Amino acid sequence: MIINFKINGKETLINLTKNKRLIDLLRDDLKLTGTKEGCSIGECGACTVIVNGKAVNSCLVLAQQVDECDVITVEGLAEGNKLSELQQNFLKYGAIQCGFCTPGMLMSAYALFLENPTPSREEIETAIEGNLCRCTGYKPIIQAITSTVSGE
Amino acid sequence: MIPQFKYYRPKSINELKSILGDMQDNSRILAGGTDIVPGFIQQSSRFTSITNLIDINCIADLKAIKNVDGQVLIGSAITFAEIMKNELIQTHFPLLTKAASTVGSIQIRNRATVVGNFVNNAPCADSVPPLLVYDASIKIISPNGERNIPLNEFLLNPYETQLKKNECVTEIIIPAPKENFIGDFYKLGRRSAVSISRISLAFLMHEENKFIKEFKIASGAITPIGKRFYEIENAFVGKEISSETFMEIASTLGEKVLETTGLRWSTDYKLPVVQQMLYQLLERNVGGISG
Repeated sequence: MIINFKINGKETLINLTKNKRLIDLLRDDLKLTGTKEGCSIGECGACTVIVNGKAVNSCLVLAQQVDECDVITVEGLAEGNKLSELQQNFLKYGAIQCGFCTPGMLMSAYALFLENPTPSREEIETAIEGNLCRCTGYKPIIQAITSTVSGE
Repeated sequence: MIPQFKYYRPKSINELKSILGDMQDNSRILAGGTDIVPGFIQQSSRFTSITNLIDINCIADLKAIKNVDGQVLIGSAITFAEIMKNELIQTHFPLLTKAASTVGSIQIRNRATVVGNFVNNAPCADSVPPLLVYDASIKIISPNGERNIPLNEFLLNPYETQLKKNECVTEIIIPAPKENFIGDFYKLGRRSAVSISRISLAFLMHEENKFIKEFKIASGAITPIGKRFYEIENAFVGKEISSETFMEIASTLGEKVLETTGLRWSTDYKLPVVQQMLYQLLERNVGGISG
């Protein structure tokens, strides 16, 4: 099956020779290894990407299902070599330790901003409900997202 | 890891029907995929033998929530996120909105469908108790026609329903809401987010002059599958609204749950929690009425 979709703004054609998940398509075929595979069952959120404006777990989506869709991964956030404000704030507030949850956290926050550019702290907490972090803790992550909203 | 099933993506109900007509055993409908795809990875025997997967997400008719003569029709490709945001559901079926908001995470709610939730029929399916108290029924199509059946008859055993291999659920039908019902949905998980229900309850009560005129109650997770308790409902219609009545209802529910499940390792914990939670739910939502 040939699938035709947009990845980080670029039209892409892939000939799928076997069934696979979106995460495998991203990491193995497109070499977009920013998206991480954690639990593989939709609990940890490390593999979060955006499909048609919505945050999804790429481990729960089949590659065939993104045919004619618009997919954004963590590689799509920076403009050239310049990190987005959200990414810069993750660095500034120490919202990264081992970094494994970071791409997923960024994508969940980005999806929230697409829907609501001025979310409350509660809305931010709900937005990252499906993203587990086991080292930094959530406070600096929430701080980084909150600061992106307020522009501090 | 992922089986080499054949993937179909019909664009219309007619196309879906013709695909269903050609299906052999081991065919499955794919909607959200949040049970099926991880089921492959976990080598679940319920999924690894799938040879045909029919993706219904591109059928526009199944992607709609409609209000027809007061009845609400929810298409089988409607996600939990879409349910949560729908004003019609928020206004008339708030227990369903509340239950939807407790399912998984945003990522899961953006994919998982309400129909998939009860077709999978896990004991912990959060959509089931609210749909049962709202007297939901479902529409099922096959190449030979269609049938409508009440949800409580559709659900047979854990992970088992009446759905046959060449059938697909297309719609949930919720009858026109009764505005004088007060109700609530309660879910207890092991954590507050991305949790699987250990206990879930939904109830609706219609009170008139401080007496119970109508009463509906359903459980999830504490019983092998989501279940209505018609005996309890009937026994308490006509009783006066009071703390004593609520206590009696709660204690009767505990007895009925125990009758259904038998003694389990978790009974010592779950039974008093179920009873206390139902009592509190009734007091909180209806109790004020008795002054």
